[in-house]
Amino acid sequence: MDVNRERPAVDADWHRVHPASPFVRGWVALVAVVVFFGRDIFERALQGRELIDEGLNGRILWLLAGGAALLLVTVAGFVLSWYFTRYQLSEGYVRVNTGFLFKQQRQARLDRVQAIDIVQPLLARIFGLAELKFEVADAGESAVRLAYLPVGQAKQLRATILGRAAGVAPSPADGAEPAPVPEAPEHVVLSVPHGRLVGSLLLSEQSFFVVLGAIASVVFSVVTESGAVVLYLIPAILGLGAAYWKSFNKGFNFTAAISPDGIRLRYGLLDTQAQTVPPGRIQALRITQPPLWRILGWYRIQVNVAGYGGAPGNENAARTTLLPVGGMGEVMQTLALVLPDPGTADPYRVFTAALNGLDSDAGFTTTPRRARLIAPLGWRRNAFLATGTALLLRSGRWWRQLVLVPHQRTQSMALSQGPVARRFGVADLVLHTTAGPVVPRLIQADVGEAVALFDQQAARAREARKRQTSEQWLTELSKAGSLPVPAPLQPAQPPAPPQPPANATPTTKEEPRNG
Amino acid sequence: MHTAAIDPPGIEWQRVSPKYVTVRLVEWAVGNLLSVALLSLPLVFVLLGWWLWPPLWLAAAVPAAMLLLALWRLVLIPRQVRAIGYAERDDDLLIRRGIFFQRTMVVPYGRMQYVDVAVGPVERALGLCTLKLHTASPGTNALLPGLPAAEGARLREQLTARGEARLAGL
Repeated sequence: MDVNRERPAVDADWHRVHPASPFVRGWVALVAVVVFFGRDIFERALQGRELIDEGLNGRILWLLAGGAALLLVTVAGFVLSWYFTRYQLSEGYVRVNTGFLFKQQRQARLDRVQAIDIVQPLLARIFGLAELKFEVADAGESAVRLAYLPVGQAKQLRATILGRAAGVAPSPADGAEPAPVPEAPEHVVLSVPHGRLVGSLLLSEQSFFVVLGAIASVVFSVVTESGAVVLYLIPAILGLGAAYWKSFNKGFNFTAAISPDGIRLRYGLLDTQAQTVPPGRIQALRITQPPLWRILGWYRIQVNVAGYGGAPGNENAARTTLLPVGGMGEVMQTLALVLPDPGTADPYRVFTAALNGLDSDAGFTTTPRRARLIAPLGWRRNAFLATGTALLLRSGRWWRQLVLVPHQRTQSMALSQGPVARRFGVADLVLHTTAGPVVPRLIQADVGEAVALFDQQAARAREARKRQTSEQWLTELSKAGSLPVPAPLQPAQPPAPPQPPANATPTTKEEPRNG
Repeated sequence: MHTAAIDPPGIEWQRVSPKYVTVRLVEWAVGNLLSVALLSLPLVFVLLGWWLWPPLWLAAAVPAAMLLLALWRLVLIPRQVRAIGYAERDDDLLIRRGIFFQRTMVVPYGRMQYVDVAVGPVERALGLCTLKLHTASPGTNALLPGLPAAEGARLREQLTARGEARLAGL
C-alpha cells in the first residue's frame, strides 16, 4: 500500500460516501448528547410538570444552549468529515482522501487486493447501507474502508475493483464513462443449516468446559452445603450467553459460493458480512475436528489470508473461518474451491486419510515407531504428505487437525530439534505463512525424512512460484488455460484492452476450477 | 564448521565473526551479573541482620543457583557462536543456529520483503553488524548476528539484488 502525499495525477471521478454515513457511524455520540441534555425535560414532560423549573430558569437555559451547541458542533463535524471524504477508482489504483484538518490521502494498488468485504452492521442494514473493506497484505488495518455506501453501489464497486484487479475490465479511456462491470455470476456451493449451527455450538470445545464447570460447581456447593456458589455463577452465565450469541450471530446463514472473482462467503444474523477472497489468496488452510464433533462427523475450516491478519477477536475469527461446521462432503467441496488442482490422482482417498486416517494409508509418512514414547497417542496420526500442489500436515489423535499449505505460498521454513527429539531421532519442520489462525508445523518426523522434505519443499515452492507470474488471475488463467498463446507476453504488461469484459459473464464461470 | 543431523547434506556453512563472542559476553554480563546482584540483596540484608526472613540457606541458595546458571550460559557462548552459520544457495539463504536446540531455516530470495542491518554500540566498536530478513510471515525470525560490517553490507546488497530478480507476489 502506498501512502501518497502528492496530488494524484487524475482528478476526475471523485465520489463521496453516502451523506447519512457519519450519523450511522456516530449515532452513539448523538444519542449520548441528546440523552444527557434532554433527559430532564423529557422526564418533566412525562410527569406533566412545567418544562422548565422556575427556580433554575437561568441555569437551565445555559445548559440547553450548551447542549444545542455541542449537538451542532458534532453534526457540523459529521458533515465536514463526510464532505472531505472522497474516493476514486482509476489507473489501477483506489484512492481515498479523508480529513479536513489533518488530511490523509491514501492509494492502494488494485492488483494487490487480498480480499474485499462488504459489512453491514444492523443500523446500516436498516438504512440499506454497507461498508466496503479493501484488504492488502499488511496484516493490519484494512487498507481502504468506505463507510457507508448504498448496498447496490458497494456491490458495483466491488465488482469493478475485482474486475480490474483480475485483468478483465480495462480501465476507462480518458474521460469516457466506464461501462459498469457486471457483477460476476456466482454459484452457491454450500450453506450451513440453522440446526447444524446450533448443534455445533452445543458440541463445541466451549461447551465441554461449560459442562465441566457446571459439574464442578454443583459438586462444590453440595460439599460446602452453601447455595452462594450460584450467585457467583451469574456473571459467568451471562458471559457465556454472550459468547454463544456472538458465535450464533456470526455463523448464522453461512453460505459459500464460487465465482470467477473468487470464493464468496456470506453470513450473519443481525450484522451481515459478505467476503470475497480472490483465487490463490489463501495462504494456508486448517481443518479441525473437536472430539465431540466426531460423533456427527463435522469439521471446521479456517484459513490464513494475508489481508486479514492475525489479530485476535471474534470478528477476525469469523473472517478467517471458511466453513464454520460441515460434514465430509462440504469439506471436500471447500477443498476443491481452495485447491482446484489437488495434485494427486485420488484426492478423495488422500483427503479422507488426511482427515480421519492413521498410519501410512494413502502415502502419508508418520512419526517413526521409535518415537512413540514422546508421542504415545499421536505417533500414528502425525504425518505429512506432499502432493503436486500442496503439503498436507496431519496431527492430533483426539483433536484432529489437518493443515494444508499450497507450495507456492510457502514463505520460509525452519527445521528444529531439541535434545529430547535428538535422542529419538526426530525433528520438527515449521512452515512460515502470513499471520492468521493457521500455524503449519510438522511435528516429530524422522530426521532423515524431515531433512529430505525440507530440501524438496524448498525446490517445490521455487518451481510453483516460477509457474505463477501474474497477480491478475483471470489473464493468467486464460494464458495458462485453454487459450494456447503462441508468444507469451511479459507478465508486467497492462491488461489487454481487446479482451472483452464478457470474460466475467457466465461463459467463463468454471474457469477458476481449471487453474 | 559444526554440522548436525538436521542440516541438509552438502552445505558449506559460512561462520560469523569470532568477535561476536565479545558482543555476547557483554550482553551476558549486563543481563546475568545484574540479576545475580539483585538476587543477592536478600542475602546481604539477612547477613546484616536487617531481615529475619528468609532463612540464610534460602537467601544463599537462590543467587547461587542463578550464578551457576549464568556460568553455564557463559561456558556455552563460544560454542553457540560457532554454531551460527549461513549459506547462500542459488535460490535461497540457509541460516542455522543452536547446539541443544538446533534450528535450520531456509529463506527464499524471492520471498524477502526487506532486509534490515542493525548495529549496536558494542557491535560498532568491533566493526560488526546484525542482519535481519523479513518475509510476509511474522514467523520468519531470520536473524544473522555478528557479521563483519563489510560482509553485512555485501550480503544486504546481494540479497536485495537476488530478491528483485526472483521477486514473487504473495
